[in-house]
Amino acid sequence: MSNATLFSVSYAFSHDLLFAVGRAIGGSVGAWLEGSWPVTALAILVFAVILFAASMINTIVLIWWERKLLGRFMDRRGAMHVGYAGLLQNFADGFKLFRKYTIRPREADGVGFYFGPTAYLVTSLVIFGILPISSGWNSGALPLSLLLALAIFSFAPLFIFVSAWSSNNKYSLMGGLRSAAQMIAYEVPLLLAVVAVVIVAGSFSLTTIVYEQQNYWFWGPLVVALVVFVAAMLAEMERIPFDLPEAEAELVEGWNTEYGGMLFAYFMLADYLRALVGSILVVLLFLGGWTMPSWVPSAATGFPLAGIFWFMVKTYVVFGVFVWVRASLPRVRTDQLLRVGWNRMIPLALLSVFLAAALVTVRCVPVFGCVPSPGG
Amino acid sequence: MSEMWINMGPQHPMTHGLWNLRVQIEGELIRAVDPEMGYLHRGIEKISEDRHYNEVITLMDRTCYVAGLAWEHLYIMGAEGALHLEPPERAQYLRVLCEELQRIGSHVMWFAAFVQDLGLTTPFLYGMRDRDLVLDLLQSYTGARMTYEYMRVGGVRNDLPPGFPDQARKVLDWLTERFAEYDRLCLGSTIFRKRCDNLGVLKAKDAIPWGVTGPMLRGAGVKRDLRKDRPYAVYRQLDFDVAVADGADVTSRYLVRMEELRQSVRIVRQVLDWLDHHPGPVVAEHLPRWLGAPYAPVGAEGYLLKRNYPKGVGFSAIEEPHGEAQAYVVNEGGEHPYRVKFRSPIFANLGAASTYLVGYRVADIPPIMGSVDVCVGEVDR
Amino acid sequence: MQPDDISRALAPKLGERLLGVDAFAGTAGKVRFDRSAALDAFRVVRDDLGFGHLSMVAGVDWVDRREVLYVVWSDAAKEYLLLSTTVPSSDPHVESATAVWPAANWHEREAWEMVDITFDHHPDLRHLLTPDGYAFHPLLRSFKLHEPEELEVKVRHV
Repeated sequence: MSNATLFSVSYAFSHDLLFAVGRAIGGSVGAWLEGSWPVTALAILVFAVILFAASMINTIVLIWWERKLLGRFMDRRGAMHVGYAGLLQNFADGFKLFRKYTIRPREADGVGFYFGPTAYLVTSLVIFGILPISSGWNSGALPLSLLLALAIFSFAPLFIFVSAWSSNNKYSLMGGLRSAAQMIAYEVPLLLAVVAVVIVAGSFSLTTIVYEQQNYWFWGPLVVALVVFVAAMLAEMERIPFDLPEAEAELVEGWNTEYGGMLFAYFMLADYLRALVGSILVVLLFLGGWTMPSWVPSAATGFPLAGIFWFMVKTYVVFGVFVWVRASLPRVRTDQLLRVGWNRMIPLALLSVFLAAALVTVRCVPVFGCVPSPGG
Repeated sequence: MSEMWINMGPQHPMTHGLWNLRVQIEGELIRAVDPEMGYLHRGIEKISEDRHYNEVITLMDRTCYVAGLAWEHLYIMGAEGALHLEPPERAQYLRVLCEELQRIGSHVMWFAAFVQDLGLTTPFLYGMRDRDLVLDLLQSYTGARMTYEYMRVGGVRNDLPPGFPDQARKVLDWLTERFAEYDRLCLGSTIFRKRCDNLGVLKAKDAIPWGVTGPMLRGAGVKRDLRKDRPYAVYRQLDFDVAVADGADVTSRYLVRMEELRQSVRIVRQVLDWLDHHPGPVVAEHLPRWLGAPYAPVGAEGYLLKRNYPKGVGFSAIEEPHGEAQAYVVNEGGEHPYRVKFRSPIFANLGAASTYLVGYRVADIPPIMGSVDVCVGEVDR
Repeated sequence: MQPDDISRALAPKLGERLLGVDAFAGTAGKVRFDRSAALDAFRVVRDDLGFGHLSMVAGVDWVDRREVLYVVWSDAAKEYLLLSTTVPSSDPHVESATAVWPAANWHEREAWEMVDITFDHHPDLRHLLTPDGYAFHPLLRSFKLHEPEELEVKVRHV
């Protein structure tokens, strides 16, 4: 495996580009263009654009995957007409929303109405700068990447509440309150399950956590943590069975009732971005990230970008499980949900932390092998 | 939060029909209920006073568009009572076939809408797929999927097409497996039970004075079904059980309707067997010519004014899929009925809304109103 | 149950105000009573005869008089009974049955708005199916279906 990371690739590209341009222009402007400041700035810009494009395209393909898979569960085909097997359907939907006239109710709070969805989308996008997709994606320069990602992930209730309140609508307000309560309640078991993983891996850096899974993936010994994490993630992503805040049946559309056009598109994109982040976190923390077990033939893991390929496969499989859950289960009522969150999930999460600590003490477990020495 | 009135409707994804459920809530709890009807009032009773007896049939399909054939049956029996006519036995069996197939269609539609309100999106589509099979059966001999206009005073319009009994039996076999699947998806789900148990409780002692009938009453443990208590058409000769459940909550009404589905399948099988072995006319023989037109069976002659036709009053009652429906038809000797009055079961069930909605949460409204099975067409007429 | 049984149960309480019990095919009979006997008749029918379920209240316009028809059901006897009273069109009042059967609430609202029969002591006599403030009673024979009407409908702001 080469030592190229995404940033080094974009740095090399911007370096070559600016040097060529600088040599073509000549003079003091050309010399300035070859300096380290413009090259670094352009490299950062290219890096950001690639990340942005990758995350947006992935989100749109994720929406396609959900629609087709959900359709098949429901004994129908899903979107079929736009593009081959409906692949371009979401681009068409996005374009339609982009063209729509955004209406702001007169009584709605102007600043909050626009700020809420925008901030919601932006924070969901920022997380993609932190999550590693393969060994070369980030140079590992963030020793606390997991903590940072989860912290930004938890901004959501604040912006949802801002949007709900500034809509000046009884239904939105009720939906926003339910949503904020649900998300805050399920942060605790989510983070406790993460603590279990961190204890076994010995680090908050996501790259290290993946590296520590080289002997076995954490889903085996930490299965309790996996269950708690997945359930809490479903609540965070507001998917069925936890989507009462958005429940059409009662509140029309919940806290985004008043939003239409591009602002509604922001919410939809942010929801699916968060779903993608959730699936990626499951893969990173429990399913070994971009590594495959040693018994997989090297032909399957040796081709270029193999790490990214397997990572994406795993992410889509995990999301497929989320879609399966959505297709099969009814909605849980908010008070029942909160009761389950406080009374059942937190004890389970604490149990998983205890098991993780026991695992680290014991070091070697019969079926799975030994924990690699921590602090790698 | 202080008390406020919120409107669920008239445009609302949950209400399944055009009506406004006004609830006074305090936080999440419901303090008072005031359903507001009339958005779908089309004046069916008034228009009927201006139409020939056979022309009123088109209005009956539209009264409750999910259970149109049952309402046709109701009106036709009332009209025949007022006009002193008797349909032949084969026509009565065909009418029972219509009513039971319609009951299957209506209950499957109820199931699809009910579970969808709870968040189960998949059984909603399974229900629509299965209901389509039943509608295809109905279309094969009535000619339409919703606005059938099949029954006539004195009989029905036509007999069954060839090959119908085999096709119907195949559909019934398929449906029986599917009902088992529905139960697995719903009753087997803990979340479903937690959302539906002990909700919308309506005990028998409250239900009876409030005029509640149908699955809501049978879900409270009262064994009343007009098909057994006051048999009409040919129900006296058919063998089936009455579905009763004890809980008086949303889950019991679910159980009652699922059991009624199975019993309807059983009834349809018996009716198909009888129809195979007893050919015969489907229209009464000595039908006066003025009643034979304008939508007469093939072969009738033109339109004649009637003379000296005796007056009468007809009263009919059926066990419609939603409950007990009644019709009161007054015949004052003209070609048009003098007055028709219909009693809708959902009208009475909604009138009792304060007994089973107050004290629950807003999030409980979809399951509770789903278990009432509101079809606004028959409430407003 | 036969019409004679019903007559025998009602006669003591109602006396002269019981105008007759006729046979009616498919039911236990049709009781005709004077409107002043309404509540007494209802109570006897519900408590002594066991008709605890009110199915329907219908109004019929006979131009110079209006008929109020009640349909009740008995779970024990498994039969319907029809009760009928006539009110003059110049003074269409009758006592409300909601004190005896709460089910009468919505049925009487509809009968009032359609056939203009006022039910005294009804807890909530307002429009049900027609809009609030609708000035007509559509099921009266004088309301012609094919003549346009001039409406001024008041809209209620929530």
